[in-house]
Amino acid sequence: MYYPEPISKLIDSFTKLPGIGPKTAVRLAFFVLNMNEDDVLDFAKALVNAKRELTHCSTCGHITDQDPCAICGDHNRDDSVICVVQDPKDVIAMEKMREFNGRYHVLHGAISPMDGIGPEDINVPPLLNRLKDEKVGELILATNPNVEGEATAMYISRLVKPSGIKITRIAHGLPMGGDLEYADEVTLSKALEGRREL
Amino acid sequence: MYIKDIKLMNYRNYPKLELTFDDRINVIIGENAQGKTNLMEAIYVLAFSKSYRTAKDKELIQWEQSYAKIEGTVFKRQYHIPLEIQFSTKGKRAKLNHLEQKRLSDYIGALNLVMFAPEDLNLVKGSPQVRRRFIDMEIGQIQPVYIYHLGQYQKILKQRNALLKALQRRKTTDQTMLDVLTEQLIDHARVIVEKRFLFLTLLRKWAASIHQGISQDKENLTISYDATIDVLESDDKEKIKRIYNDTFNLNRDKEIDRGSTLYGPHRDDLSFYINDRNVQTFGSQGQQRTTALSLKLAEIELIKSEVGEYPVLLLDDVLSELDQYRQSHLLHTIKGKVQTFVSTTSITDIQHETINQAELFYVENGSITKQKRG
Repeated sequence: MYYPEPISKLIDSFTKLPGIGPKTAVRLAFFVLNMNEDDVLDFAKALVNAKRELTHCSTCGHITDQDPCAICGDHNRDDSVICVVQDPKDVIAMEKMREFNGRYHVLHGAISPMDGIGPEDINVPPLLNRLKDEKVGELILATNPNVEGEATAMYISRLVKPSGIKITRIAHGLPMGGDLEYADEVTLSKALEGRREL
Repeated sequence: MYIKDIKLMNYRNYPKLELTFDDRINVIIGENAQGKTNLMEAIYVLAFSKSYRTAKDKELIQWEQSYAKIEGTVFKRQYHIPLEIQFSTKGKRAKLNHLEQKRLSDYIGALNLVMFAPEDLNLVKGSPQVRRRFIDMEIGQIQPVYIYHLGQYQKILKQRNALLKALQRRKTTDQTMLDVLTEQLIDHARVIVEKRFLFLTLLRKWAASIHQGISQDKENLTISYDATIDVLESDDKEKIKRIYNDTFNLNRDKEIDRGSTLYGPHRDDLSFYINDRNVQTFGSQGQQRTTALSLKLAEIELIKSEVGEYPVLLLDDVLSELDQYRQSHLLHTIKGKVQTFVSTTSITDIQHETINQAELFYVENGSITKQKRG
């Protein structure tokens, strides 16, 4: 079965999105055909604008429509703490918590020699410059708890340690509200390793 | 423990197959290229979620089919445990008790299994890789967390090798990253080596006494761990860590020069000695085979002592490779306690009373007929 060109292009575009296979793409494309024109125009505009108007903040690397970003430009935040994350989505996750009032630094990835990604390919050099210029008391390393994230955290800590800045790594362990018996051995052993005195 | 039944879908040359097994001896009989080994392999895959014959899971799927499925029921500790493993173009899914297990280390170990195939006769003589796989598989099914450490180690090793290669070709000069990866590597290497030492202590004990039995007290079998980094089995974790660290520091330039990680558990090996003489270099063909047999039988006892139940044993085309004496020793050891699957081209090759009570399965071109012997 062949689709007329406009719709087959639309289907093709949808399949480029993550988590969308050929069947879902067809369903979405036909749904768009039945939407009213204004909504479709808004949708198309939103797509283009998101791409065109968003840039990376020149200070922290977070996605933003103004430079510096809202977090970097906020004078009420604590300049002495920087939280290093891998991804803009991680900043949003941290912000949802509403408990962290410091600054961020987004790396946009992790070091992985296997994929040819070195420290200079992610946002590490700007971080080092920031630490030189700004008065930072603590650097929180919140990269993902996998091999690459861990290596990236260790790497940054080695570079920064000589400067005397306090470096911390977020804790690994059990999810809240979970049951101990359902935790896997690795998480459990990490949780035991990171136990603290009450 | 034993496997009660198995169900195959689109697996190699079996479009659909359902079998119920005897809890003791099952003999699978058929001409070559009829599907005996495929059935043995399926049982193996059910235990370990991967094949010993191929690294490509896709090969397990029947020609022109999109998926393959193996289901089985294991009777263990008075419970029936349903296992399921499915391969498709998207990858594999393993289910234990109808629940999908995201980590394979949560799945492996549910069904303990020891396999003895003609290749295993090469355990002593073959390449170090064969011995490493032997030791890794066995520890993995007793202690699933070992598989996790091994996986992490392999991942870091790949990263470290990539970096060493980049340093070798002067694409980067960043040695701090090498320090980081070395530290990460050592963290897992230490655990791997410790667990291997612990396992060897147990294996030695069982293998020595079994070997003594087979050789009628004439031969004393010992096993040594040949480490690329000189750590001793008596060393504690801090010491192992320190020795590893020193070795990597000392050989940094050499490793960069070669562009690869030259030391660590991925290069370690085992050697076997009979009456203090290395079996690999000085042993006769017969001694090498007996050693392999002793190791496999030791595994069975080791699993029994660690897990609390005997594992399932697969003997793929191997009985005919053993002489009468070793054959009967093997069958005598497992008699009445270990569920065993024997594959052979002809039942007359095996002359032992245990076979007389066996359940027989005749394989012909992907279909199987069962016949109970009186």
